Amino acid sequence: MDKDLPSEKATESPITGAVVPPSLASPDAERDQLGEEFELVTGPARSLRADAMRRLRRNKLALAGLVWIVLVILVAVTADLWAPRWLGDPVEIDSTTAAQRMLLPPSWEHPFGTDKLGRDIASRVVYGARVSLIVGVVAVAIMVLIGLIMGGIAAYYGGIWDAIIMRLADVFFAFPYILFAITLIAVLGRRGIENVFFAIGFLGWPSIARVFRSSVLSVKENEYVDAARAMGASTPRILIRHIMPNAVAPIIVYATMSIGGAILTEAALSFLGMGVQPPDPSWGNMLSDARAFMQSAPHMMIFPGLAILTTVLAFVLLGDGLRDALDVKLKE
Amino acid sequence: MAPLLEVDDLHMHFFTRDGVVKAVDGVTFTLEAGRTLGVVGESGSGKSVTALSIMRLVPEPPGKVVKGDIRFKGESILGLSDKDQRRLRGNRIAMIFQDPMTSLNPVYRIGQQIAEPLRLHKGMTRKEAWAAAVELLKRVGIPQAEERARSYPHEFSGGMRQRAMIAMALACGPDILIADEPTTALDVTIQAQILELMQEIQQNTQSAIILITHDLGVVADMADHILVMYAGKAVEYGVADDVFYDPLHPYTWGLLESIPRHDVEEKGALTPIKGQPPSLITLPPGCAFSPRCAYARPECRRKTPELVEVERGHYSACLFAQDTDFIAQFENRVVRVGAEPRRRG
Amino acid sequence: MIAYIARRILQMIPVFIGVTIILFILRSPGVIGGDPIRMITGERAISETLYNQLVEKYGLNKPFYVQYVRYLNDLVHGDLGTSYQKNRPVTSILWSKFPNTLKLALAAILIEIVFGILAGVISAVKRYSFWDVLVTLSTSVLVSLPVFWLGMLLQLIFGLKFKQWGLPYLPISGMGGDQFPQIVHLIMPAITLASVSTAYAARIMRSQLLEVMGQDYMRTAAAKGLSNAKVIWNHGMKNAMIPVVTYFGLDLGAMMGGTVLTETVFNWPGIGREIFLAIGQRDWPIVLGATIIIVFIVMALNLLVDISYAFLDPRIRYGRQAT
Repeated sequence: MDKDLPSEKATESPITGAVVPPSLASPDAERDQLGEEFELVTGPARSLRADAMRRLRRNKLALAGLVWIVLVILVAVTADLWAPRWLGDPVEIDSTTAAQRMLLPPSWEHPFGTDKLGRDIASRVVYGARVSLIVGVVAVAIMVLIGLIMGGIAAYYGGIWDAIIMRLADVFFAFPYILFAITLIAVLGRRGIENVFFAIGFLGWPSIARVFRSSVLSVKENEYVDAARAMGASTPRILIRHIMPNAVAPIIVYATMSIGGAILTEAALSFLGMGVQPPDPSWGNMLSDARAFMQSAPHMMIFPGLAILTTVLAFVLLGDGLRDALDVKLKE
Repeated sequence: MAPLLEVDDLHMHFFTRDGVVKAVDGVTFTLEAGRTLGVVGESGSGKSVTALSIMRLVPEPPGKVVKGDIRFKGESILGLSDKDQRRLRGNRIAMIFQDPMTSLNPVYRIGQQIAEPLRLHKGMTRKEAWAAAVELLKRVGIPQAEERARSYPHEFSGGMRQRAMIAMALACGPDILIADEPTTALDVTIQAQILELMQEIQQNTQSAIILITHDLGVVADMADHILVMYAGKAVEYGVADDVFYDPLHPYTWGLLESIPRHDVEEKGALTPIKGQPPSLITLPPGCAFSPRCAYARPECRRKTPELVEVERGHYSACLFAQDTDFIAQFENRVVRVGAEPRRRG
Repeated sequence: MIAYIARRILQMIPVFIGVTIILFILRSPGVIGGDPIRMITGERAISETLYNQLVEKYGLNKPFYVQYVRYLNDLVHGDLGTSYQKNRPVTSILWSKFPNTLKLALAAILIEIVFGILAGVISAVKRYSFWDVLVTLSTSVLVSLPVFWLGMLLQLIFGLKFKQWGLPYLPISGMGGDQFPQIVHLIMPAITLASVSTAYAARIMRSQLLEVMGQDYMRTAAAKGLSNAKVIWNHGMKNAMIPVVTYFGLDLGAMMGGTVLTETVFNWPGIGREIFLAIGQRDWPIVLGATIIIVFIVMALNLLVDISYAFLDPRIRYGRQAT
């Protein structure tokens, strides 16, 4: 608001435009101002990353999200070691005891209860975590790969390539995501997990491309301004150290949030029958099974849903936290 | 009769997570009708916060007046209720800001924005207020005022926007017009026009003007009194001529040395003041200016100077303002054209 | 402004063409399972001559661009193909269901606008208060919630459990008419459909208003003597709402996609549920046909939103005029 407000006011280094906090702008007239600034020029990339890490550590919600994600990863990765033995097999049906074990509410033996075929739900939730995590990570990896390439080409070459790629992105944006995914999977033929992460990844590239393109473009402009100011003092390497962190940061944030989105999409597709096929467990298809038993066995729908909610929330909070931590660095 | 505006040892501090920012740390001045006060200082000197404090526009957390008073026509405005404060704002005390592009609402027509205070304070109808707004635009020198009133801010040039801001501030015929860096964002040629306009208006309406700037050249012609601020404190205050030709503070000397002037024969080259203003959270000990002062002595770091009346109506916050030899250090550098160097008796 | 609208429409055209090409590819025989000839003749074996005659008739041996033009022609005439299972034109199947989806979508949009704006404004104005924290947290939760699970939860609690506990309850499926009037049946599905969008809308409203509140012209308005409420309402909202309104328009597309899940959970007889049933039956023409309808609606709405932007923001309406 008030330009005089000194708590926000910091002085700008005339060489790089890097912001020097008031405490460092010493009024000591004898110090060589130029030399002081130069120290800060080579420093920023490293100290800003440390700055961001510190800020992230302060954000309790984001940390909670991170902890949860690590937990889920651990559980999913190690599942084979303990889940079948302690909880029950997620897929195999023990036909001798199945009848008595159907639709049991949560108990000591079956913490999340059992489903319509007597399978332990907790075990299925654990294995479903595997599906969700794999889909999330792989789909987002595909998305980011394609998006970076497309966005990079558009931003770097500009001109007609930029126009073509952006129009293509518009075409993709015209389709509602789920419908597009459904039709794409139908096109690919087989329903199943492989097609799911390909579909999600393939359809998600426009967002990443747009984000990457705009940050590259904006940083490109800054680079020229800085180069003009630098009077030849700054080397290109320093500029790269400034460009890359700025361009990469929004991608990291977007990718993190997208993992959450990918998990939701996979759940929706499996729910509709286009994703993971029974008897393999996915949180989505477990919910689909649970529909018929809402009245008699509500526990069937509670736990897979909670699993989705908590895991996606963890990614969202982490993404939010990353955005706040990196944003202050971006906003000069 | 009480002066129009009295600012009495004002201290406005901001209580932030990183510490207490002493944005205004001791400012005193008075203002009479028809007079202009020039407030001069660098960014961060507290001049804008002082103005906002008079307008009562400083958000009260985190800001707080920890000491001092502001009196309008004899009555303290610090204790007024929100409603009463609003009755003064835009009505009896008006303010224009530095950047007219961002200070005007982009989605409303110029005429609407000028008419707004009229409808609010004078209870005019939409038609009456609009007609008055058009008249005001004419008065500030905007051609084809009827058409122009229907324009949006982005359709105006910088100078015209500032004129529109002035029209908006004058709408209710305020007693005091506060102008915060009104010409900084404008071209040099336009600057002169705007200042001329303000002078003309003052002659016609007898409003008092507080002209805030970092540029001494801007206040040279217009100001009756000058207040020099540094690091939230008033360091010099007096009649304009006194401050220009007989400055009593090294910071003022620095400001005068760093601008080109036509009326004095320069002996030395233009020299900017070295260094940066201090952080207002951790002020240096003693005199806030001493780290950058070319004439500083050891006592300066130990004793904090107060604003003291050195000659009649001429105040300085330098420990050595009354020491003629000390003052002579500066006088020796500048020779006023057509006059002998001032001797102090 | 005319220039702006013209430019926007011009930009839409390649997108439009791109969309139709993609849809054409998806619809082509062999791409999605099913031989269109088989579709017409059923499982009966047919003679080769008859097969070739049919190929001729439907132009399936013509080069791609000819088929494409024919396809566009079909679209313009509202022919979306024929359902595999039901052997009726897709258009007529969907046409009867379309108004139901419309009702649901409109109700959801209403909820989204009212609650999204309200929550966003309150949390921006009362920043850092309990209310702000509540809104921020709950929007994060809503965004992470699988929409269909929310629907199921609502069904469980307000439909089944409430009934069990003797409380006034809501119907959990269908469009109504039997025990409850239609509008009561609309409540839960509309809330479900609106949930995620409302969360996003609140977030956007909040961040836009916060950004606007930091602008200089807000300070000018306060300097004129306006009360805090008037400053926010008269000067702030008009600026903050511009991106929010455009968000509402753009979100429509996502909402249309969401109808598939919501209608399925609540057995609401709309286009979305048709898509779900068609998936189960592998009746791809219906899936594709519904997708086409929805895509075109979304595109038309996006164009409208783009154009309305010109009306809302005078800077676009009057462009840069030097003086």
